[in-house]
Amino acid sequence: MKRLKELQNNLIHLPSAHPERRAAVMPVMQALQAELGFLDDAAIEETARMTGLSATEVEELASFYSLLYRCPTGRHIVQICDSVCCSIHGADQLLRAAEKYNNTPVGAVTPDGALSVLPSICLGLCDKAPAALVDGEALGPLNDESLRALLRRLRKES
Amino acid sequence: MQALLTRHLDAAAPLNLAAYQAVGGYSSLTAAFDLKPEKIIEIVEAANLRGRGGAGFPCGTKWRLRGIDVPSPRYLICNIDESEPGTFKDRYLLYGGPHQIIEAIIVSAFALQAERAFIFVRGEYAKGGHGLHQAILEAQAAGLLGSNIRGSGFNLQIEIHLSGGRYICGEETAQINAIEGRRPNPRPKIPRPSVRGLWGQPTTTNNVETLVNVPHILLNGARWFRDLGINGGSGPKLFCISGKVQHPGLFELPCGTPVRELIFEHAGGLDEKETLLGFLPGGASTAFLLPEHLDIPMDFDAIAHAGSRLGTGSLIVLDSSTCPIEVTLNLLRFFSRESCGFCTPCRDGLPYLAQILATITAGEGQCEDLALLDELCAMISAQSFCAFAPGAVMPLISSLQCFHEHYEQHIAIGHCPFDATQQGAA
Repeated sequence: MKRLKELQNNLIHLPSAHPERRAAVMPVMQALQAELGFLDDAAIEETARMTGLSATEVEELASFYSLLYRCPTGRHIVQICDSVCCSIHGADQLLRAAEKYNNTPVGAVTPDGALSVLPSICLGLCDKAPAALVDGEALGPLNDESLRALLRRLRKES
Repeated sequence: MQALLTRHLDAAAPLNLAAYQAVGGYSSLTAAFDLKPEKIIEIVEAANLRGRGGAGFPCGTKWRLRGIDVPSPRYLICNIDESEPGTFKDRYLLYGGPHQIIEAIIVSAFALQAERAFIFVRGEYAKGGHGLHQAILEAQAAGLLGSNIRGSGFNLQIEIHLSGGRYICGEETAQINAIEGRRPNPRPKIPRPSVRGLWGQPTTTNNVETLVNVPHILLNGARWFRDLGINGGSGPKLFCISGKVQHPGLFELPCGTPVRELIFEHAGGLDEKETLLGFLPGGASTAFLLPEHLDIPMDFDAIAHAGSRLGTGSLIVLDSSTCPIEVTLNLLRFFSRESCGFCTPCRDGLPYLAQILATITAGEGQCEDLALLDELCAMISAQSFCAFAPGAVMPLISSLQCFHEHYEQHIAIGHCPFDATQQGAA
């Protein structure tokens, strides 16, 4: 909660910058998640307080958007695209390989807290298929070997 | 054709304001501010610039129909929520040339007399959105945004809305809800957003590729722009080519370039051991076309005439080593996952279709499944609330027609004939 209080000062300008306070709900949630790693219940309540929404309304949004996380994530996030072009080029095998190398199911955090591998809709990287976003940076085309090296590097860095 | 929209793109080092101005950037502002807004709209309409975001509606007509003398404030939304599988053109524009986007928004907002513009950037493109934000600050500091831009009396403020994900946010009215901080379900189409859009005010949404054409039209004229297209198309088009081709990538070519030229000349053709099975011409929500359609021009009317849609102009190519039913299943799983859940036919119908397709690819399909799929597609498409579900079933309906023999084969032999492990066993 102390960290939330510190954040409040940084976010205080957001609601007034929009024609309606509620329009700040996305930037507020994004700022909180950037700091906290995910949106816990306190972050949902804080967002509600700042935007004039109820906690239920904020929850409705937080649970709708795929890039907002309601449970803890790893320190690094690897989003592997599983849409049509990447799938044609072996994305499903990559996702299965990632589970094997991390010994952790897709969507879960590795026990050391280093990594979350998440499936994603088309990342707009079809010319680099099969592709992934690694902490927001585009990477592709991936193969079994480069995926393994990537996962190893990220876990080491953590 | 000389590259127009991609000429100065560089994702590694996008041009800053000074460098962009040195190559002629922002010169269309002078041309625009010398004209009356109505005249700009007339020129854009005469140029036959059709919407590049998927629907292909003429941009100038959309602007004219909104009307000039409408209540203020008026809003312009630049849509960079590119999420259509197979489409990556807006990523190139965003990461490679943020000032080109800002220039396009300024002259378009002037034509619409919109004093506030929003750029809706998909969350996965956050880094590109950051670069665009820096460019907006640069433009603001140089007096290209804000009050009385270059003494024209025109004021404009641009803001970026970074999305939290989800395909449906690309839909015009869902996007308005998202910007307002509401759940991004599509809204009823009446009243139109041009009448009551963002916060109840007149709102115009255009795809970013559509907008970046506008400065060139103002500088060179409507006729010049129309003549850049071939085979009935107007202007340049950013074509994305992916799937089973040798050199997937983005190609800026005349709108109306034939499919054969795109696949075999620009994208390097297929693996020499394989043959063309079919292709999606405009992204995931368009109908499959077959090798017999290779000589069709990639233009809105020609592709529509062939029974599909130009969509975003993104070719997804399948060769003879790809199971078309697996591909269709992947598309339907995508749409099931991305349905906003607001209306029942879409929310419950699409997963049902995916489930039946999964049964067929697993070799457990029945002959009756094919008729059931057809029947469900018709029902879901007709009874859903927005254009999402009709787009979602389009590849399935066409897949059932184009690849009927493959479906029957899966059902008859009880496994996927493309599955190498199964082939070994058989």
